[in-house]
Amino acid sequence: MIELRLHRELYRGECVDEAMKALGAYAAFERAEEPAHWVVRVTAASPERERRVAGELGNRALGLTVKRGGA
Amino acid sequence: MDALPPDLVSIDLAARAVSLRVDASLYPVGAVYAAAYVFLDRCYVLLDRPDAAHVRVSLSWKKGDPPAGALEALAGEFANELLSCAWRARIAEESRAVIEATTARALSGAMGAPSLDDLESFQFGDEAFEDPLGIAMSWEEKYGKQKKEAAK
Repeated sequence: MIELRLHRELYRGECVDEAMKALGAYAAFERAEEPAHWVVRVTAASPERERRVAGELGNRALGLTVKRGGA
Repeated sequence: MDALPPDLVSIDLAARAVSLRVDASLYPVGAVYAAAYVFLDRCYVLLDRPDAAHVRVSLSWKKGDPPAGALEALAGEFANELLSCAWRARIAEESRAVIEATTARALSGAMGAPSLDDLESFQFGDEAFEDPLGIAMSWEEKYGKQKKEAAK
């Protein structure tokens, strides 16, 4: 399991949600909220796949956030 | 890693990632976003804010093991892109007033000729208007007397 911590000042929550939906077929996600971070726990069939899906999730959430003018 | 300062850049070969510590007072978040967006297709980009004065940028290699020196090169290229984005953001901020004024003038000019209502409300007074170039003067007023004097 990989835990991805996305800072609320840098990532939009709605963009994190959209990224999770888009990649839902490739891994299981568990979302939690902390005062400063959106936390997403990624579980997949292998550690390499988890790393890849977590990386793609971060990229997608960041890309959507940038396109919408920031967090 | 000789070229990149070790207090700003750290490489984790096991994680196939490089991390940059960015001073938020030198590089605004908009510039960090812009630079990060450019790198989304090349590596996994993760932003974090360890404290109010800094942004941490982590760049992770996408597939396989990176060749020797590839992570250093990635960090250097990101730093260059970040500087470029910050400079462009500063120029845009400094020229914002000029751009807004020019756009406003262009838009007002594009509104076309005045309407009948505008002409109706226009104040036509009896007072003479300023004519420094003598455009409203007749030819005789402007040149006639001078010719007579020149003839004498």
